[in-house]
Amino acid sequence: MPLIDPSVVDLSRLQFALTALYHFLFVPLTLGMTFLLCAMETTYVITGKEIYKEMTHFWGKLFGINFAIGVATGLTMEFEFGTNWSMYSHFVGDVFGTPLAIEGLMAFFMESTFIGLMFFGWDRLSRPGHLAVTYLTALGSNLSALWILVANGFMQNPQGASFDADTMRMQFNSFVSLVFSEDAQAKFVHTSIAGFVTGALFVMGISAFYILRKQHMALAARSFRVAALFGIISSLAVVTLGDALGRLDYLVQPTKIAAIEGLWEDSNAHGSATSAPWLLFALPNDATQTNAAEIGVPYVLTPLITHSMDTPIPGLLSLEQQAGPRILNGIKAINALQQYGVTHDAASLATFKQYENDMGYGFLAQKNAPNQDLTQITPANQDAIVAQTEKDTIPNVFVTFWAFRIMMFLGFYFVALFAFAAYYSLRNELEKHPLLLKAALWSIPLPILACEFGWITAEAGRQPWSVYGWLPTFQAASSHPVGYMVFSLIGFAALYSAFIAAELYLMFKFARLGPQDHHAEPTVGGGATMFGKPQLADKSWQ
Amino acid sequence: MELYVVLKVIWAVLLGVLFCGLAVMVGMDMGVGTLLNFVGKNDKERRVALNIIGPHWDGNQVWFILGGGAIFAAFPTLYATSFSVFYVVMILLLFSMIMRPVAFEYRSKAAGSWRGIWDIGFLISGAVPMIVYGAAFGNVMEGVGYHYSWTGQYFQDESFLSYLLNPFAVMCGVLALSMSIAQGGTMLMLRGEEPIYGRARKAALGGSIVAIILFAVGGLWVSHLNGFAFTAPVDPNMPATPLTGQTVAVQAGAWMNNYHTYPLLWALPILGFVGMLGNLLMNAAGKPVVAWWSGALAWIGVIFTTGASMFPFLMPSSTNPNQSLTVWNATGSAYNLGWMLFFALVFTPAIIAYTSWCYYVMRGKVKLSSITDDSHSY
Amino acid sequence: MGKLFKFIGLAAALALALFLAVIAGDYGPWYFAWLVGTTMIVLIAAAGAVMFDAQEANSNGKV
Repeated sequence: MPLIDPSVVDLSRLQFALTALYHFLFVPLTLGMTFLLCAMETTYVITGKEIYKEMTHFWGKLFGINFAIGVATGLTMEFEFGTNWSMYSHFVGDVFGTPLAIEGLMAFFMESTFIGLMFFGWDRLSRPGHLAVTYLTALGSNLSALWILVANGFMQNPQGASFDADTMRMQFNSFVSLVFSEDAQAKFVHTSIAGFVTGALFVMGISAFYILRKQHMALAARSFRVAALFGIISSLAVVTLGDALGRLDYLVQPTKIAAIEGLWEDSNAHGSATSAPWLLFALPNDATQTNAAEIGVPYVLTPLITHSMDTPIPGLLSLEQQAGPRILNGIKAINALQQYGVTHDAASLATFKQYENDMGYGFLAQKNAPNQDLTQITPANQDAIVAQTEKDTIPNVFVTFWAFRIMMFLGFYFVALFAFAAYYSLRNELEKHPLLLKAALWSIPLPILACEFGWITAEAGRQPWSVYGWLPTFQAASSHPVGYMVFSLIGFAALYSAFIAAELYLMFKFARLGPQDHHAEPTVGGGATMFGKPQLADKSWQ
Repeated sequence: MELYVVLKVIWAVLLGVLFCGLAVMVGMDMGVGTLLNFVGKNDKERRVALNIIGPHWDGNQVWFILGGGAIFAAFPTLYATSFSVFYVVMILLLFSMIMRPVAFEYRSKAAGSWRGIWDIGFLISGAVPMIVYGAAFGNVMEGVGYHYSWTGQYFQDESFLSYLLNPFAVMCGVLALSMSIAQGGTMLMLRGEEPIYGRARKAALGGSIVAIILFAVGGLWVSHLNGFAFTAPVDPNMPATPLTGQTVAVQAGAWMNNYHTYPLLWALPILGFVGMLGNLLMNAAGKPVVAWWSGALAWIGVIFTTGASMFPFLMPSSTNPNQSLTVWNATGSAYNLGWMLFFALVFTPAIIAYTSWCYYVMRGKVKLSSITDDSHSY
Repeated sequence: MGKLFKFIGLAAALALALFLAVIAGDYGPWYFAWLVGTTMIVLIAAAGAVMFDAQEANSNGKV
């Protein structure tokens, strides 16, 4: 059997990370903007005031620019499991593919069909009819987040499936465990509401821009109010759910939570767990397995993570050591499984069953075995291989630690920003606080950044696993030659760069242009070029 | 018959239905994209053409996404293997597909040479996916070079050039393209006015004629092509693994075996021809509604003709025929197929209902004036 | 007769909503929280806009 080429695995990871992070630049805005449009249109239907229709129209236009790339880059994600993670798709497709298929049936059709009506149906539908369409679009886009996070929940904490030796894969056995997995639940709410924060800050920031320039005041002040209230509740909810997720990681992914907190030694290594510090700042060094320049707040870590005062949290060093026996068992499991594949005899199946729960650790050792072959492990080289594999059982601490911290600091910043924004908007004193308005404007990209770092925390923190405890990432990739990966990476880089340039050009253009004129038709005699300023009837943006 | 076998067969049929939905709905939009520069000689005409499918392209495209998701869940090993062995064309397909939503949303939001760039995007994102779609069927019929290791990981045994430059597959690709042009042209006639109507009619007629010829040529070709057949009885209830349980031989003309055993299956290619002819004649007669439904029937005929000829093979391996992926060894577990069937039964009627409602709300001819009045037009 | 059908339709929708709420509340407390929370967020944001109009009408009345 040909060897797994580590550089192909790394390139596959790079491509998946880049395409997923890129896709995720647009998704949070879609999740939030759809419900903001619902809020605005609800007001329109209740009050009957045209300004709210204009608001829905205008923000809908900016939403549409964003939605298109979200859909386009989502196509890549749906197919990339098959094109680049063939072993993964084979291994868990029976359980992981199902939420993706349901996502298509339940969510994508709903969102994509109704968004056409939402944009084009204004004159063809009654007011409540159109409002219902807008709500269905919002529900559809958030349902798609639900199902993809149900799938992701399985990667983080696999439940609802068990390994089957005859088909060499995880087989689905409990729909309820899969869908109501605590990880899936908390992560869906966290992600969806993080999208709400992103949408709220987007609307609030652009409104602040108009208020600063005293343009489109009727629309801007109302949009600011709606977004500020939408944002303050959402940003508080995101923090709450973040805490729930942290506790969940503590229960089911000990290596992730230890990496997030930069915890090399057990939390009670220096006295009691109660006084263990929560690190505000540190420079984790993965090579020496220590932290430099620690700044900690004592008495915070234990209650924060464990929701108790004195439960010790295991550190990464002891987690590595605990993996040792599991690696030895895993090697036995994989060898028995390979034997069973040839002979289908009851004895090897029984041996496999005995060590089945550790089989993932056997796969993990394969990377370090001679010729990636576990049968070539002898008592002579065994200790060295196990020691090497132990080091592979934890994620990159520097990345996980800082990705989490950036996300979290930004989360608290949003709470503060929205609190001030909501307060001054409710008092109608926004114009007296230009600094707040400027902060809102310049903070527009920050929630997107926080979402990206959230994704990195969740997925980099899950390493070295594709499916936590069962399938290492190293085993999951397709067996492509390096040339294929270079070809696709260059293509994605070129296309995606062109798209983001076009998106930003249009976003800035229409945001500056403001709500009056939605047409891009050039005036008579003057066609604008791609890079020139379009000539428009409304010059208010200049 | 055991429940698992019933579920496997149901999902094989549903896979065909999915391919039909994809071909009819996405194919129509692709045809419009391919024809855009031909039916619209100036910017205004092109905008009219785009807005004919404007409210629907996004919903239609979900057939494509659902195709990916449903194959992933119902045929995990097929999904894992086919998308990887066809990596180079799959990536080309993705590149061209992801251009389309962006082209729709962005084209009319700025003026000048900007629009010309996106018009080229529409041509690429219309023609390339249809050629790849058809060519994939052609390549699969000829067999693909791959085998599995004991873990279930696939390994590719042939260069990507062998499936990129396969003449039979290229012919299948052109067949799919011509059918999508016929269907797209029909849609443009259905909701467009002169001069788009006349140009679309010309294209649709041409598309149907080419499709009829290629479908006939393809049939003759397949009867001489190397097909795959079981040489020992297979247990359809077998666990879903390609590693054991099948003995398969490569035989010239084996793809005709099912037609020899069950002559009733000849109804499928006949349906294909009737659909194509119906599309041709009705468009000639200026009845695009009937022509549209005929075109849909043509797709159903062509796809199920292929499926019936290959059943139960899904993607045979030319280098290790015993590990060929079939309906018996490539599906998900019975539990999974059952749940998926439940969701399909609940949601498919809902999807059909609201999609139809959406087309009903947006019915009528698309006029230039309605586009310039609506700020959301493409 | 029409009213009766409307009543039956609304009653059925209410029963379905209650059923879903019970299922979500039992098995998926966070899902339930999302349903309730999102509805609340949207309605509070909409109420903020209505309040804005009221404030504006008030201050215009004083001048």
